Order: sequence, then structure tokens, then C-alpha cells
Amino acid sequence: MASKFGFAGGIPERKVRPIWDAIDSRQFKNALKHVTTLLAKHPNSPYVLALKALVLERMGKIDDASAVSLTAKENLFSNDLLSMDDLTLSTLQIVFQRLDRLDLATECYEHACGKFPNKMELMMGLFNCYVREYSFVKQQQTAIKMYKLAGEEKYLLWSVCSIHLQVLCGNGGDKLLVLAEGLLKKHVASHSLHEPEALMVYISILEQQAKFGDALEILSGKLGSLLTINVDKLRMQGRLLALAGDYTAAADIFHKILESCPDDWEGFLHYLGCLLEDGSIWCDEAVNDPVHPPKFVSCKVSHLTDEQFDSRISIASAFIRKLQTDTVDNSVRGPYLATIEIERRRHLRGKGNDNNLMDGIVQYFCRFGHLGCFTSDVEMFFEVFTTDKKAELSEKLMKINDTLSTPPTKTLGLSISLFKIKQQLLLGDMFNSSANDVEVSCVQMFEMYCKNIPLSKDLDPQESMHGEELLSITSNILVQLFWRTKNVGYLVEAVMVLEFGLSIRRYVSQYKILLLHLYCHFGALSVAHEWYKSLDVKNILMESMLHHILPQMLVSPLWTELNSLLKDYLKFMDDHFRESADLTFLAYHHKNYSKIIEFVQFKDRLQRSSQYLVTRVETPILQLKQNADNIEDEEGILQSMKCGVDFLELSNEIGSKSLTFNEDLESRPWWTPTVEKNYLLGPFQGISYCPKEILTKERETSLKREIEKKSLLPRMIYLSIQSASLSIKEHVEVNGSVKPDITLELKLLLERFSQFLGFSLSEAIEVVKGSFSNGERSVVSDSNLIDWLNFTVFLNAWNLSSRELVHPDRNEGRPIIWNILDSLLERYILENVRSMEPQLCSPCSKVQLLMQLVTEPLAWHGLVIQSCLRSCLPSSKKKKKSGSAYQSSSNLAHAITESVQQLSLVLEGVIKQISESNRRPEDENSDGILSLLRKDEHNDGPGRVFHVLETFISSMSNAEVGDRIYHSLKSWSPADVARKMMTGKLKVLTAFSAICESKLKLLQSLKQQIAQV
Amino acid sequence: MTTIRRFCCNDLLRFTNVNLDHLTETFNMSFYMTYLARWPDYFHLAQGPGNHIMGYIMGKVEGQGESWHGHVTAVTVAPDYRRQQLAKKLMNLLEDISDNIDKAYFVDLFVRASNAPAIKMYEKLGYVIYRRVLRYYSGEEDGLDMRKALSRDVDKKSVIPLKRPVTPDELEYD
Ligand SMILES: CC(C)(COP(=O)(O)OP(=O)(O)OC[C@H]1O[C@@H](n2cnc3c(N)ncnc32)[C@H](O)[C@@H]1OP(=O)(O)O)[C@@H](O)C(=O)NCCC(=O)NCCS
Repeated sequence: MASKFGFAGGIPERKVRPIWDAIDSRQFKNALKHVTTLLAKHPNSPYVLALKALVLERMGKIDDASAVSLTAKENLFSNDLLSMDDLTLSTLQIVFQRLDRLDLATECYEHACGKFPNKMELMMGLFNCYVREYSFVKQQQTAIKMYKLAGEEKYLLWSVCSIHLQVLCGNGGDKLLVLAEGLLKKHVASHSLHEPEALMVYISILEQQAKFGDALEILSGKLGSLLTINVDKLRMQGRLLALAGDYTAAADIFHKILESCPDDWEGFLHYLGCLLEDGSIWCDEAVNDPVHPPKFVSCKVSHLTDEQFDSRISIASAFIRKLQTDTVDNSVRGPYLATIEIERRRHLRGKGNDNNLMDGIVQYFCRFGHLGCFTSDVEMFFEVFTTDKKAELSEKLMKINDTLSTPPTKTLGLSISLFKIKQQLLLGDMFNSSANDVEVSCVQMFEMYCKNIPLSKDLDPQESMHGEELLSITSNILVQLFWRTKNVGYLVEAVMVLEFGLSIRRYVSQYKILLLHLYCHFGALSVAHEWYKSLDVKNILMESMLHHILPQMLVSPLWTELNSLLKDYLKFMDDHFRESADLTFLAYHHKNYSKIIEFVQFKDRLQRSSQYLVTRVETPILQLKQNADNIEDEEGILQSMKCGVDFLELSNEIGSKSLTFNEDLESRPWWTPTVEKNYLLGPFQGISYCPKEILTKERETSLKREIEKKSLLPRMIYLSIQSASLSIKEHVEVNGSVKPDITLELKLLLERFSQFLGFSLSEAIEVVKGSFSNGERSVVSDSNLIDWLNFTVFLNAWNLSSRELVHPDRNEGRPIIWNILDSLLERYILENVRSMEPQLCSPCSKVQLLMQLVTEPLAWHGLVIQSCLRSCLPSSKKKKKSGSAYQSSSNLAHAITESVQQLSLVLEGVIKQISESNRRPEDENSDGILSLLRKDEHNDGPGRVFHVLETFISSMSNAEVGDRIYHSLKSWSPADVARKMMTGKLKVLTAFSAICESKLKLLQSLKQQIAQV
Repeated sequence: MTTIRRFCCNDLLRFTNVNLDHLTETFNMSFYMTYLARWPDYFHLAQGPGNHIMGYIMGKVEGQGESWHGHVTAVTVAPDYRRQQLAKKLMNLLEDISDNIDKAYFVDLFVRASNAPAIKMYEKLGYVIYRRVLRYYSGEEDGLDMRKALSRDVDKKSVIPLKRPVTPDELEYD
């Protein structure tokens, strides 16, 4: 069998080379020409056919490629053994993978391996196929065969890893681990092990079975020397000893680690845990989400006696003191923070005293308070204190700060740490003080920033400036003042502070994130989006950072921008899902076995990402919104998504999935700790009201419901369109073939949908008939209004083809549900238009709701109308014959006419309102914004910080702040910022207005059609 | 206050505070995973108290004969943790592994010619500018190829600077 390159299927290399060359240089047409010539000579060669399929696929001719590749496969199977070479197979594999038919590639390799059971090359290909399909059992079987054949350690480990995968990521039971262990043991006995990663796998297989002693024995034996990074080996030993309950020996190991690396904080925590015989740090490891590990070390109350406890603690203290004196490098913080942790443990034991703990923190402050990381280092210790004690500590820190004499950059660092402590950790305190006091400290911080700009004048613009954080803190406090006073001037002031900072150095991502959220709050979403883009969030960062902008964009009219956000993100995720297995195979290939499980688990994690699932549902919904003004286009879109069937599946499955949350919520501003919360929209409750901990379980439950509900929409829209046209045909074709399955399915979905509203279908229908009230009480609120209206739209559509609801008013005007729907749409849209304040700094939530009303229920209803009209109006071709359908269904005709009329008026109202707010000249508006910051005589309210800012800009000198900063500040203007804010807001309204106009145009064309009947 | 350990996939979801830095590139997934799958000992992460991520280093080892060398693809430290010798520690780790485990001749890296802070750091750590690579970054900015010889290169041949700049297509490795 000729399997060397160039003789695949007996075809000489020089004939094939030009094809590959052309493919590699993307000259597909040329490649196709070569292939066609070659195919004339070898019409049945699977290899040449596979090449042709590859070229066709690359040209985008998917169907042709499919057909050709299937022929290739058939020929491969029916042919003699000649063509069963690796090159043919791997070429086919590439084609099938690109066509998303991994199963067919696997079949080819399975077939080939059946014919040549001992060919390693083919088995390798087959193993690779199973890796791509995540078929762990078959992987295992294939690898074992390879191991038996070649006797290599590598194949044994492939097989062991495949077993481990079954246990961790498949549904294999723990018993399989015994099998894996046995395989390894036998191999070690006869051949030993040669790769460090092989040893790591062996250890983890043992650890998983709680065979800690065995694992330790192996590590300390000859095999242990495979681990070349000594500290890695020690950590492994320490962990195994602790898990085995041998805390004394474990403590010794961690002692060693600390001696060689006194700064290893985790090493210290492990050391202390072992001394105190507390293994909770290892138990937590197993329970916690690795992406959101806890900030605090949890610890159990120790079972040691008091004497034991004291003596262990003094051992630890003595050791740490020794580390402190032995370490010459004065940037090593570990041993100093350790002192505080030891004090905390005492405290938890009930033996501590607040003063000692405070002293520890104060000393740490003296040493490291100037560092940016000071606050995050010590924040975990504050939990221990009561509010009073926190205030006392803050006093102490301030006092000591006054006594420290340090160079200016350090002094600045210390002050920032103090402010941060006050702001982040002792927030409650801040709200006991008067708004005025808070404002005073705000001004102080800002002044401090300005005063210290000269320190940074010679820094490279790439480098962080001294005191950068002061501006984030200042603006955070200004936002708190807004929440407290509802004076929107504070928000504007916060924006100014941050924009000012970014004009000095444009790379500060912290400022950008805060600004982005502030602009969102103003409804200047396009500006927010610009700032988001400037963060250059791409690849995996999208998974952790998209949440900053996506939720707001989903309810905005900036469809183009939204579309590209969704597309980029989905492309990234889908690319990863496609490539991931190949990279896993790379890890197999390079014998880095520990990465195999890591990769598979990571892919699984991303596949269950809450954000990914939301995006998968929102993307088709956006498409449907964008095309709703043209029923033919909409139907095209629906066809391309299999009429919504796939999404129904998602809806059915989602309940049993467990979602992962991968957002970096730490990066969110304090006032909106999760996507769902925004404290600024509610009344001021005191900052202690803002809980930091995130209730993931609750988020998961509500998100799953949301996805389950939303993924019904595409199908319901599809069925509604069908149902509407059916109703007309019924009128026309007496005894015609009514398709009850459409009506029935829609009814089932309505039943499901009504559950999300909290009612049964019949109850929900009653609520609709009562115009959204249940008896006296109204059941709708801003949060479920869209759902109720969507429901009513679908209900109406269903009602058109079903006869279940009796029409008492059958011949008197419009069908009742239709009638109600129109007036509900009118009522809610106009209500929200009226409350769209002319105030330009008003938050954008009303506009968002309005936008949703127009682009969802109104749009879907528009489709139902289009569908009805299309079925009853004579199409241009058969104009003469029919023409009667419209009249014959007179109720409906009436309904349509009225509806079109009424909705047109509503839309005109919206457009008018928007154009009124747009009409005011920008300058007038931006002046209005700036005037919020100008102080009156009483000196109350916002503007103090802004005043300092303006004074600074007008009085700074070139020599003081340096050329670069001087010029960028001179060309910066607050009026520009105000204008930007305004234009941003107007841009959103204009986009919304355009959407309304397009809908209005549709309605007008419908009117014309009706008039022509 | 640093625990240095191997970088793992989940860390990709936790490194935003480091990667939002404008000089730190966020690569595509297959790039990261290729490094993890091939050179896991060259990809390390530093973690501090409260499980905060402080920074990381990513690199590889490659080359033939006397150009068998360690390469630093990225080293970065979150702003709050800078100037505390962390980058130095991470660089030393990679140099150690290249030197002692993989017995490489030298370690090299590319840096933007405009990234003055990083260049200063590398110089402080003993790297010399071996050559300039014209328009290395997206065909715009020049890159500097900096090198440091390891113990195996007894005569320090690998770090004798080239006289003339090169273009990206002249590079032996990417
Ligand atoms: C460059 C960078 C990695 C330095 O990290 P770091 O942990 O602060 O550096 P270290 O504290 O280990 O610095 C070691 C030595 O390098 C030099 N150095 C580091 N940063 C410097 C700077 N900004 N300016 C001048 N010298 C500097 C100093 O001599 C320093 O020793 P010293 O503090 O005792 O004087 C960090 O600034 C960073 O992440 N920058 C953004 C990403 C980047 O540019 N990476 C490099 C390109 S891949």
C-alpha cells in the first residue's frame, strides 16, 4: 500500500502538488481546474474526490462539497485496499470536519482500521477522530490497542486520560479509576515512567481515590525526581499529607516552601492551616467555583486544646519573625501580612484582641501603605471588626499617617490608601456623615490629584500616573451623592472628572468603565459604546467583559452596533468550540496530559456560559426585529432558523442545564454590582444596603427562565404568521384544508408562555380581556409589560385561526382580542411617550421600554397584519379572479383597517415627541448641562469639584505639569463633553425615530393596499 | 506576596485586570491553548492575597542547534502590583527553566520600540538589543529583539548585536 505523500491512491506527487499549492495560496478556481483534469484520469479516486470536495468547500459551495465528499467516501468503502492510505483519509477528515460531519470522518477511519488492524498511523487518526467527538470510551479502547501494539508510555497515558475523562466529564463511575490505576501500576512495574506529566496524572488518579499514602510513596520514591520544579513537588506533597490528615508532616513541607520563598502567600496559608490542623482550605478548593475563588480564607474553629493552639500559634509567630529578619528584599510583603493573619486566627478562636489586630494593620500600613495593592491586601481582615472598631482603625491610620515622613510619591500613595479604606471598607461610616462633609472630602481628593500631577510630568505616557486612583474614588463618591440627593448635577460632575482624567492619560481602563456606565445611565448609549470599544475587549475578554455593555445594547435602537457585538462574541465562542478538540489533541501529542482534562472542562464551561446562551437567543430575536417591516424578509429569516424549531429545543433543554457565570463582576461600578441591579434607579437606602456578595443561584434560576421564555419567541412569531394567513384561507376556501397542527402548536406554546406570566392560559386570556387586570388589580408592571403584550399578540393570532374563543361580537366590528390589543398598544406606548421627559439628564429607562414596545409587540403584531392582508388581498397575478376575500372576511377587514389607522397615529405621536426633543439646539442643551455645575450663592449642591477643575486648568503652567499634559488639558473643554453627552443621547433617539418611521411607512403602504381593493 | 504557579485555562477568565492594560495583548484561544498544550512550564501566573491575579508570563522554547532558546511571548503585571520586582521574578523563572531544564543557549523577546518602561526593565535584567525588526507590530511599529545569554552559551555569542535591522520575513521564528 502506497501511503507516502505523493502516492495517495496511487497518484504521483507531482500531479497533486499544484492542487495543494493553489489551495494554500487560496486560488481556489485554479485548484478546481487542476482537480478536474486529474479527476478525468482517476474518476473514482477517493483522494482526488476528497481534494475536489475540499476545494468546493473552500469556495463556499457547501452542497456540492457534501455530495462529492460522500462519493469519495463511498468509493473508499467499495474500493480495494489501494486507497486506504492516511493522506486520503486525512484529506477526507478535513473536508468532513469543515462540513461539520465529524461522524463521517470517524466512519472512514473506523472502516480503514478494520481493514488494517495493525497500522499505527491509521489508529492515530481514529483516536484523533474520537477526541474530536469527545467519545471518551472509544478513545480509551483505541489507545489501549495502540499501547498493546507499540508498548509506548504515551499510548498508555492516552488511555488513562480517556478513562479519567469518563469519570470527570462523562458518566463513568469512580470504579473506572481502579482500572486506570491498575494499568499504570503494571506499566510502572515493568517500564517505570519517563514523563513528569505522566507522574502527575498517576498522582491525580490516586488522589481522586483518596489513596493519599500511595501517592506520597510514589512521589518520594524514584519517580518523584521526574518533577523538575522543586516547589511544585513540595506543594503536591504538602497537599497530599494534609489531605491524609498528617498535618505535622505537611506543616514541615510548607515550612520548607516558605523558607525558600517567604513571599508565597498561599504557602503560608497552607502552613498555618496545617499547624492548626484545619484542612478547610483544601475542602473549599473542591467546592468553590475556580473562576470566582473566595477572597477570604475560610477556617474552622480548631479542635485543638487551648494550650495546643497557643503553642502552635507561637511556633508560627516565631517562624514568621525569623522570615522577616532573614529577608533583605524590602518589597516582600508576605511575612508582614502573615503576622496579621495569625492575629486574625487568634481572634477567631476568641483569644485575640482587636487592638493587636489593629496594630498589625497599622504597622503594615507604615511599611506598605503607599502601594496600590495595600487595600486589597488587608481588606479581608476588616470583616473581623464591628463598625465602631472600623472607625477606630480608620482614625488610627490617619493619625499614624500624619507622623510618617516619606518622599512625595509615597505620601500620595499613603493618602490614596487612606481614602480607599474610608471609601471601600468603611462605607457605612461615610453615610453617617453629612452630604456636605462627604463633598468636602471629595474636593480634597480631587485637589490632591491636581496638586500631584507635577510628580508625573516626566513619566512616559505609557505608564500609570501617580494618584490615578483618586479620580475613580472622587467620581464614585459623586455618584453616591447623586443617589443620596437625586441631584443629577453630581452625575454630570462625575463624568467631567473622569473625562478630565482621560484627557490627561487616555489609557486608564478603570475610568473608561465608570464612564461607560454613567453614559448608559444618561441614555447616551452611543458614547458608552465608544468607550467600550476603546477598551479593546476581544477574544476571551468578551466572555468576562461584554456584560458591561450588552444588556443596555439589547434594549437599544443601535442595531448595527449591537449586531456586531453579538456576532463577534458568537464567532469567538463558536470558533473555540470548533478548535478546542484539535488543541486537546495537541496536548495528547506533546504528552502534556494534565492539560487534556483542563481543556475539555474549559470548553464545557464555556458551552454552559450564561452569557453565551443569552446571546444565542438574542441574536435571532434581533434579526427578527430588524426584518419585521417586510414579511417576506422575515419569512426568509425564519426559514434560515428552521422556523424557530432549534430554539424550542434550547427552551426545552435549558432547565436541566447548569449555567456558568464567567463575568468579571469585580470590574463593575459599585452601583450596579450585577447586570440585574442598579441602585441608582431606586431610592437611597444607605450604602450598607448594597450587598457585595452575588447570589449566583438566584441569578441562574431567573436567567434560565428568561432564556426558556425568550427562545419560544421565534417559533411563536412563525406560527402567528401562519395562523393569521390560515384564518383568511379558511374564509375563502370553504371546507378547505385547515391545518389544525399550526393552531394546536401555537396553543401549546401560549400555554407555556402564560406560565411565565404566572397564570394558566384561560386565566391569562381573562386578564387580557380585562385589559390586563385581574378583577380590580392590574397585573402588569414595567418588568412584565412586554411579555404581556407579546402574549396578547400571539393570542390574537391564534384566535384568528382557532374557533375556540367564542366571538359574541362576530359581526360587529373587530374581533374582541384584536380590539383589545390595539388599544393596549396605544395606551402603553402613548403613556410612555408622555413620560419621556424633555429633561435631558433623565435616565433612559422610559425610552428603553418604549423602544421595546415598538420593536417587539408592535412589530410582531405588524407581521400578523401583513400576513392577513397578504392572504386576502389579490396578488397582482390573479387580480381578476379574486378580490373578494377581503370583503368576505369583513370583520377582519374592519380590524385590519382600524388597526393600521390606529397604530399609524400612535407611531406619529412617538415620532413627533422625539423630534421635539431633538429640535432644541445642541448648544442650548449642553449649556443646560453645564449650568447644573455652576454654583449659586448658597454654595449648595454639585459643582465644587468642577470649580476646582476649572480653576486648575486655567491656572496651571507649562513648567509645572510638563508640555504633554499642558497641551492636552488646554485643548480639553467641558462644553465639548456636555455636547458629546447630548449628541450621544440624540443619536439614540434618532435611531429610534428611524425605526418608527420605517414602521410608519409600512403601515402607510398597507393603507394604500387596502384602499386599492 | 506571590504564589507563582502554572497558568491554567480558568485563569483566562480571571485576568481582566491585567489584560485591560493597553500594552497587553489578548490573543485568540488557540494561541493560548497551543502554549498551554506545548510549553506548560513556560506559562506561569502570580497570585496574591485574596486570590487576586497579579500578573503572568507566557513563553516557549524552540530553535535548532545553537539557536535553541527560550522565548518570552508576554510578561505583564497589573498596575497595582508594579515596581515590586514581580516581572523580574517571573522572568527569572523562565530563564531558570530555559537554562537548567531545557539547556537553552539564550532567552529572547520582542518589545515595541516605543515601550520605554519595558525596555528599561529588560535592560536592567541583563537583556541587550540584539537587532531591530522593522515594522514588526501590525506592519507599523518597529520591534526590538532583545536577548540574554544563558550558561550554555559560554562565549556569549548569541547576544552580539547585529549591525543592521531586519524585516519580519527574515525572522527565523515567529
Ligand atoms: C513592564 C512590566 C512588566 C514591569 O513589571 P514590574 O513588575 O513593575 O517590574 P519589576 O518591578 O520586576 O521591575 C524590575 C526592574 O525593571 C525596571 N523597571 C520596571 N518598570 C520600570 C519602569 N516603568 N520604568 C523604569 N524602569 C522600570 C526597574 O529597574 C525595576 O527595578 P527597580 O524597581 O528596583 O528599579 C509592567 O510595567 C507591565 O506589565 N507593563 C505592561 C505590559 C508590558 O508592557 N509588557 C512588556 C511587553 S511584553
